[in-house]
Amino acid sequence: MRKRLLVLEDGTVFKGYGFGSPRETIGEVVFNTGMTGYQESITDQSYNGQLLTFTFPLIGNAGINRDDYESIFPTTRAVIVKEFARRPSNWRSQMNLDEFLKEKDIPGLTGVDTRRLTRVIREHGAMKAILTDDTRSIEDITYQLSQAKLPVNQVEQVSTTRPYVSPQNGRKVVVVDYGLKHSILHELNKRECHVTVLPHDTKAETILNLKPDGVMLTNGPGDPKDLPQAHEMVRELQKHVPIFGICLGHQLIALANGAETYKMTFGHRGFNHPVREIATGKIDFTSQNHGYAVSDESVNKEELMITHVEINDGTVEGLRHRHHPVFSVQYHPDAAPGPHDGAGLFDQFIELMDAWKVENKDA
Amino acid sequence: MQKSSKIEVVNEAAIERALTRITYEIIEKNKGVEDLILAGIKTRGVFLAHRIAQRIGQLEGQTVDVLELDISLYRDDREDGADEKQSTLSHTPAIKGKKVVIVDDVLYTGRTIRAALDAIIDLGRPDKILLAVLIDRGNRELPIRADFVGKNIPTSREETIQVSLKETDEADQVTIIKTP
Repeated sequence: MRKRLLVLEDGTVFKGYGFGSPRETIGEVVFNTGMTGYQESITDQSYNGQLLTFTFPLIGNAGINRDDYESIFPTTRAVIVKEFARRPSNWRSQMNLDEFLKEKDIPGLTGVDTRRLTRVIREHGAMKAILTDDTRSIEDITYQLSQAKLPVNQVEQVSTTRPYVSPQNGRKVVVVDYGLKHSILHELNKRECHVTVLPHDTKAETILNLKPDGVMLTNGPGDPKDLPQAHEMVRELQKHVPIFGICLGHQLIALANGAETYKMTFGHRGFNHPVREIATGKIDFTSQNHGYAVSDESVNKEELMITHVEINDGTVEGLRHRHHPVFSVQYHPDAAPGPHDGAGLFDQFIELMDAWKVENKDA
Repeated sequence: MQKSSKIEVVNEAAIERALTRITYEIIEKNKGVEDLILAGIKTRGVFLAHRIAQRIGQLEGQTVDVLELDISLYRDDREDGADEKQSTLSHTPAIKGKKVVIVDDVLYTGRTIRAALDAIIDLGRPDKILLAVLIDRGNRELPIRADFVGKNIPTSREETIQVSLKETDEADQVTIIKTP
């Protein structure tokens, strides 16, 4: 294996061995604390443009299977591991991580002390990093990194460009794709929803003309403030139809209703984030993947109600609109990978759509 | 002969969700919880009222009074005892000028709610009376409707809806019992 380097913006250098694609890559380096589910994480479009570090020391031991894709064309920039399993052992496995990353043209780096890397990120915050061959001088690499600009059109890169349908008999749900995970469609289909997936820049009018029973705003990568047209769309849509937002969708709902979002130091990425539902006091362990969050003080309490908070750092994790049939969570109730504590939120969405239909059938 | 069948229609998680949603709706509709009183109808309505009050406490940081309403003397199928009405109601918070939310488990004919309205009016003149029910099963005999509904379950008169709550029963559950 070829020796390769990971150089961070603050000058820290990690040496390791390359696997997967031999490409050079630049992106934001982030860490995921999940112990399982690397296939779902790597194919999660919320990791678009990011160098994904796994804190768990052995990755790839169950190989890659045909069931667990969260997207077909993942856009994670790189995968950084302590050790990757060359020979996977699982009855579902179809290839090892190396073959998979080669096929998807994603570079990998192994032999890195990912826990030290995590400590560096926790201290300095998520930052730019470059993964490159070690034949070049560090000064040269650092200069290249300092000049690099990360793209801001991340949602555009991962959203579908054409509408498509995931058919099922039942309620008509429009899903606005900001980088959706397949498991969201799976959860909706399972609950008898006929799903129409639309591109991220769809106008509110187009959606309303489909007469949906409800609209789902998906997860996605990047800064929610880069999508002003989506805020406009949500503002218009929420007057007419129930909306459920997950992750980026949650942030868009917050921004559309006057709240602010901010970039977190190192985000929440993992499956062990405890979230309290304020009303019942019940704690759910949740799957999360977000680098931005809704600012607590900015929430207009006349318009929105905070329903869920993260108990480690108090981040706003759930919102509900006081006047419109709208609610959202920052975490992933689709839980792929992760604990299924939040799955009831999809049922809540179904109940909301059904109740709204009864109330508005005369209108 | 066919045996009667018992089917679970609402499970524990769905009951919790329904109560949480009703709580949100009560707060939203009243624009806060000032002057709010929850009046649970004995037996299970009282438990539901306490659960909602607890949620309101966590969300708004304010305690809401829960009134335990025994309406047995106000029932319209009762022929005696009309004079003893007052004595059955334990001392209660003043409800004059308050917003009272009646809480019950199942809304069916509406006769229980009518009795509850009488019972409340005997205690004073509230500003407003609202109704929250966990299950609305239809088949009304009086012009009464609920403001907050956990779940609509259209039923026939031959069926029975049974609400079990942990406070008195084994588990949180709503079942529908069909006798052929």
